[in-house]
Amino acid sequence: MNWSKSLLFASAATLAMTAFAQAQDMPKRIGYVTNYATHEWYQNVIKGMEARAKELGIAFEVQDANLDIAKQVAAAEDFMAKGVDVLIITPVNEEGVVPLLRQAKSNDMAVVLEGNPVKGMTTMVAICDYDTGYHAGVEAGKYAKENLNGVAKVMNVGLPLLSATVLRSQGFMDGIKTEIPEAVMVHDLDGGGNPDRALEVSSAALAKNSDINIIYGINDNSSLGGLQAWKAAGKSQDGLLTVGTGGEGLAFINAMENEPSYKIEAAMFPEKVGFTAIDAAVKVFNGEEVPEHIVSPTAPMIGEDWKKYYSVEGTTRTVNWEGINSVQAPEKCMKTSADLK
Amino acid sequence: MSETTHPSPGRSAGSQFLGSEQLVLALILAALCIAISIAAPQFYSEANIIAILRQCALVLIVASGMTMLIITAEVDLSVGASLAFVGCIGMAALNATHSLALGFLAALAFGGGVGLINGLVATKLKVNSLIGTIGMMMMLQGGVYLFTREAVQNHHHIAAFTDLGAGYVGPIPVPVIFAAVIFAVAYVTLRFTTLGRYIYAVGANEKAVRLSGMRSDRLKLFAFVVTGLCVGVAGMILASLMNAGQPTAGRGFELTVIAAVILGGTSLFGGRGSIVGTLLGVLLLKVIDNGIIILGWNQDLQMVVPGVVIIVASYLDIMRNRANAS
Amino acid sequence: MTNASTAIDAAATGPSFVARLLRHQEMALLLCLVLVIAFFSFTAENFFSVRNMTNVLGQASLALTAGIGCAIVFISGEVDISIGSLLATIALPLIIIMNETGSLALGVSGALLFGLIVGCINGYLTAYVGINSLIVTLGMMFVLRGGVYLYTGQRAIPDDAMLDSFILLSDGRLFNVIPYSAVIALILLFAFAYMMRHRPFGRQIYAVGGNQEVARLAGYDVRRVKFICFIISALLATVAGIILAARVGSAQHTAGLNFEFQVVAATVLGGVSLAGGIGSLWGMALGVLILQFLSNGLRGLGLPTEWQLVITGMIIIAAVAFDEAKRRRANGG
Repeated sequence: MNWSKSLLFASAATLAMTAFAQAQDMPKRIGYVTNYATHEWYQNVIKGMEARAKELGIAFEVQDANLDIAKQVAAAEDFMAKGVDVLIITPVNEEGVVPLLRQAKSNDMAVVLEGNPVKGMTTMVAICDYDTGYHAGVEAGKYAKENLNGVAKVMNVGLPLLSATVLRSQGFMDGIKTEIPEAVMVHDLDGGGNPDRALEVSSAALAKNSDINIIYGINDNSSLGGLQAWKAAGKSQDGLLTVGTGGEGLAFINAMENEPSYKIEAAMFPEKVGFTAIDAAVKVFNGEEVPEHIVSPTAPMIGEDWKKYYSVEGTTRTVNWEGINSVQAPEKCMKTSADLK
Repeated sequence: MSETTHPSPGRSAGSQFLGSEQLVLALILAALCIAISIAAPQFYSEANIIAILRQCALVLIVASGMTMLIITAEVDLSVGASLAFVGCIGMAALNATHSLALGFLAALAFGGGVGLINGLVATKLKVNSLIGTIGMMMMLQGGVYLFTREAVQNHHHIAAFTDLGAGYVGPIPVPVIFAAVIFAVAYVTLRFTTLGRYIYAVGANEKAVRLSGMRSDRLKLFAFVVTGLCVGVAGMILASLMNAGQPTAGRGFELTVIAAVILGGTSLFGGRGSIVGTLLGVLLLKVIDNGIIILGWNQDLQMVVPGVVIIVASYLDIMRNRANAS
Repeated sequence: MTNASTAIDAAATGPSFVARLLRHQEMALLLCLVLVIAFFSFTAENFFSVRNMTNVLGQASLALTAGIGCAIVFISGEVDISIGSLLATIALPLIIIMNETGSLALGVSGALLFGLIVGCINGYLTAYVGINSLIVTLGMMFVLRGGVYLYTGQRAIPDDAMLDSFILLSDGRLFNVIPYSAVIALILLFAFAYMMRHRPFGRQIYAVGGNQEVARLAGYDVRRVKFICFIISALLATVAGIILAARVGSAQHTAGLNFEFQVVAATVLGGVSLAGGIGSLWGMALGVLILQFLSNGLRGLGLPTEWQLVITGMIIIAAVAFDEAKRRRANGG
């Protein structure tokens, strides 16, 4: 039943719910151990989960590992001791939760993973990071052909810490090369995913190579940090293209409205990820057959495109489900973290 | 020997700017700059020097206050968390008031207030400042997310605010001017004023100072508040550079600041230290950071190299002291 | 520092007074722990269950093991903040050797050897060269963490050997109740607490931390005592690192980030003075347990991270402030 693609959200959600309720037993409680709850991305994933759980009448609780793998294990143990029906985990690191899955299995606990695949898992809900970067790269290539004389010298404000972010950078470069084969990555930086660190390392890189004309960031903090370094160096944004990834908060909207070079944002729709994860949890709870990787869609947004998916009032951003549900997810990712090894 | 080992440095303690203790650091710094320049000429390009100086400015502003604080035998580990919070507060105040002065005031009030609380916890409640400020660090890290869930955006578009981080006066970046002024004030205070002498004295021998009728608590409180105010200034500059108040900023900033201060020869047990050493420490750490990127080396070395330099510089300093003694 | 004078005062009044004072202090901590447990038993769902209580013991085993070393180094008058990075570093030889040889004994030996080397370097630079231990271990913290990142390319290394004995360390429970990791931590705690109280070397550590001059005059080799304390600290952090590696089934490059803050906070909360010469391992253990039950209880209440941080920060400050006030009253000043 592929409801997510076809139904109008507001009116049909109730319908979907009744359909679910007839076909399936609902878990009573779902526990979610997230990686980094204070990050905007996960905030929005949680929002999507909360909304969907509420619709289905499931009690939903969140614990935050706050980037600490030891704390993640502890929080998951807490949930298992409490006796939740399904556990959703966004691993701090995919190798680090193998013992957790083992423990869950011995307790007959259903587990859904978000974000990263883990040895011995049943199913995972995640976007395709490589594809996300790739499609943004293709758009960047087209833009550079038209507006930057076909030159593409990229500064990658990356994050080698996570395989997901490494894949995004790789995808971006491979995508841009489909349009401009001689595109090069002039600098491959570790911006820590943080705005101040990204700013600092970008300053040094821009000082070394003044011919950079495309800034790619693996998240909005990184692309904005890179762009701020550009501005702090007193350079004009003519002849520059900035491409961000994530699109989880207001920052990128602000940048797309105010910064002339910020033209492309690879949107990853965190709310949709959360929504899908809860549905996957229900299916796993019922012992239904589920694919190993349930793909949540992403799409490059160019210029005003973001208005299709989000609306902003003051400082609150609301999801336009109609728009997001119309985005097609691929069946399979072009590349996954398994290809990095 | 220079003022750094003397409990109460008087004007007689030698008038040279660069004490012999800092000579080692200055030599390492010079050697490093030359080596990087030979390997990568872009290192001494104008753009890069400005980039380095701007990064140094942020650290030096806070490190100036921190040097005073550590000389009084206290420490503040909450400066990184406070830096992020200050930026959010300052930006929110700017958005609300559209006044740069009021925004700056809010940032200073917040930074100074955090310093005041740290100081009161250390002096009145007698909580060891290493622990008290870890507690404060946690409260600020949590508190900033209670204040704002996401980055506070620039809705005021005040041009002068942008200049705080990215502007120039002549060829000199504005943050560097802020840093220079704060550094100069700290230098003069520690070197040439009675207040400075008391600050050294309180760290060197708290009991003696209390007996002499002075209030050592007040001096420590002063140093905490000064450090907090410095964080206020640095937080505003960082917010300007990032054009947003970022709750995730400042991670590990406290370690960079403290590493620069102790690299500069200031003793964690108080009573000993020099602000010129701190300046050299800041420059050294930031040149290393920058050089690794300019040379295109693995960025993980940005952690390894400062670690080795901190230990080696301390080692050389001790060897030099022994050579002098014998 | 204010604590230094307290240390001298306490030393001057003799061991019986110190012992009395310490016993007193541990009672207050114990009361605090009971209050924390009582509070959450009434408020947090499923808090007061055997499963949850023993889970917390397993979770506490890391900080408890490393805390022993941290406390011993504090008592000797020095600090060691490299333990968090060491936690991540020793997992490399452990996991790599186990993957290569399929032997837990060889892996653990490799890890301990690595820990021993780090402890020797820390101890040598501090005790024999005379560099401030905060500087040495801060530098070591950067070097080790950066080294792990460099070596692994910021990728975790999975445990492919999957030895039963190693898995037992993570999943196994003594009598099916107490996690083996907690058992190891408790055995180490008892052993070292016995050493600190009843063996000559323990007394030497207190003497060296209390007043170096007096210790030297008493004929103790101050340098050697401190050197050994750093080795003990590094080896215990290694054991904690082995437990963590088992719990996460891999060598994690980010493991133990900020762990040193956690352990230092628990140790000081437990009444171990940074000025040296004061405190006990039992106090440290109570400090660890208070913080662990607190964070478990706050999670159980479903509080978001930001509130957990704010409350933990406040409680650390309040507890140390309370402890200081009590100590000053006990000293009549």
